[in-house]
Amino acid sequence: MIEVTDLTKRYRDLVAVDRLSFTVGKGEIVGFLGPNGAGKSTTMRILTGFLPATSGVARVAGFDVFEEPLEAKRRIGYLPEHPPVYADLTVRSYLRFCADLKAVPRQRLRDEIDRVAVRTGVDGVMDRLIGNLSKGFKQRVGLAQALLGDPEVLVLDEPTVGLDPLQIREVRELVKGLAGKHTVILSTHVLPEVALTCEKVLVIDQGRLVDYDTVAGLVAKHLPGRSVTLEDMAFLEEIYSKLVHPPALAAAAAAPAA
Amino acid sequence: MRSTLAIVRKELEVYFTTPIAYVVLMLVVFLSSLVFNGALDAYRYLSLRALSLGGDVSGQLNLTDLVLSRVYAWVGVWVLLAAPFLSMRLFAEEKRARTFELLMTVPVRPIQIVLGKYLAALATLSVAIVLALAYPLALALTARATGGGSAVEWQTVATGLAGVVLLAAMALAVGTFVSALTDSMAVAALAAFFLLAGLALLPLLAVTAEGPLKDIASALSPVQHLVPFVSGKVELKSVVYFLSFTALGLYLTDRAVEGHRWI
Repeated sequence: MIEVTDLTKRYRDLVAVDRLSFTVGKGEIVGFLGPNGAGKSTTMRILTGFLPATSGVARVAGFDVFEEPLEAKRRIGYLPEHPPVYADLTVRSYLRFCADLKAVPRQRLRDEIDRVAVRTGVDGVMDRLIGNLSKGFKQRVGLAQALLGDPEVLVLDEPTVGLDPLQIREVRELVKGLAGKHTVILSTHVLPEVALTCEKVLVIDQGRLVDYDTVAGLVAKHLPGRSVTLEDMAFLEEIYSKLVHPPALAAAAAAPAA
Repeated sequence: MRSTLAIVRKELEVYFTTPIAYVVLMLVVFLSSLVFNGALDAYRYLSLRALSLGGDVSGQLNLTDLVLSRVYAWVGVWVLLAAPFLSMRLFAEEKRARTFELLMTVPVRPIQIVLGKYLAALATLSVAIVLALAYPLALALTARATGGGSAVEWQTVATGLAGVVLLAAMALAVGTFVSALTDSMAVAALAAFFLLAGLALLPLLAVTAEGPLKDIASALSPVQHLVPFVSGKVELKSVVYFLSFTALGLYLTDRAVEGHRWI
């Protein structure tokens, strides 16, 4: 679904992405892992057609993102590093605007906006100005925008930044729910995040591919003889969620305020 | 088409939910109304002078020429100066707020984005021009021509308004282009302001020049091209001037936006 061949991006003498090659199959969820400045965002910006590559080819669903940008963009939902939201619009009119730009069929427009709003949990703030929302909500509005039109490929640049642990878990469930039908690339520097969400991990450093394998493959390769389960990584979160969001409280919060 | 309309709609929503459109419109209308008052005073003074001199000059004192033409020339000047403050945010704000990344990654052509933004700004500025219809309406309600009938020559009003709309179209195209070059609204506003004011004032700079230099200076000035419109004439060269400036501005904006895909 995504094929990247010898992708290089150079800014004067700084090489941001250095002969990067990888492929992502249909329905896979791939985590981009790497330190700040490793070239994660640059790669994503090239994939989405925002930046041109210095050399190399990136194809999404068979379309070269530079030669056939409109065809490629039609198949991509993109959440940039900074959620691209307008402070002066309400959530509803923002999503309406994005749906129009993405040519969501008119008769499905309202349903589609409601669908992504419910999925990202912004359905309760539809008529508030985005500028007045918290960072977490802005992030979720940005995510809702990426999901509009049900694109085949989702490129999510740090989708969980600014969210609290429970929201992070919601987003993770959401992304996992996309697997199979959608191809997802997401970047993060929260390590457990990758293990819990992604099937495959792509590690880059200084613009170069360091390793690309499944989570189990990475464990087998780099920690031979150790057995690591996902439950080991999730324990802190479970404790946290029990403390701040016990089932009784959650039920009370879900009921409308009298 | 649909994406262009979506952008028009969003830009209008931002213009009219934030104070910017109201501030710009209020300033244009306020300054134009001052000019209208001044022109009416001058007209009254002239007619009183004429009466006291005893001559019958009522046929020569034309309300439309003496008041409305003058007012519309000034409306043009205010529109020219106001345009940069409407166009400044069109692209600069998107870049600053990082929403430009959204526009550049949705399946929309740059020209659709440019047209949507430009048309929204033009529609907003046109509100000020429509409000300037209040002056001929006030005159039509209160004044009568000597031979009966309307004191206002509506044909001149129509060409005057058309001229101001053309001027607004040109000024906003220049402003939109400047806005596409920077991510600072202040820079976008000031650069467009000085560019337009410079063009308008070119004849003043060339006042001592002679021959072709003087001709070129006045041929480049938008205000010089507005003059025939407000006095009731439609001159082809002025229409061509405004439209070609508009087309050039929009073309360059499209190139500037498309250029982001290449660097």
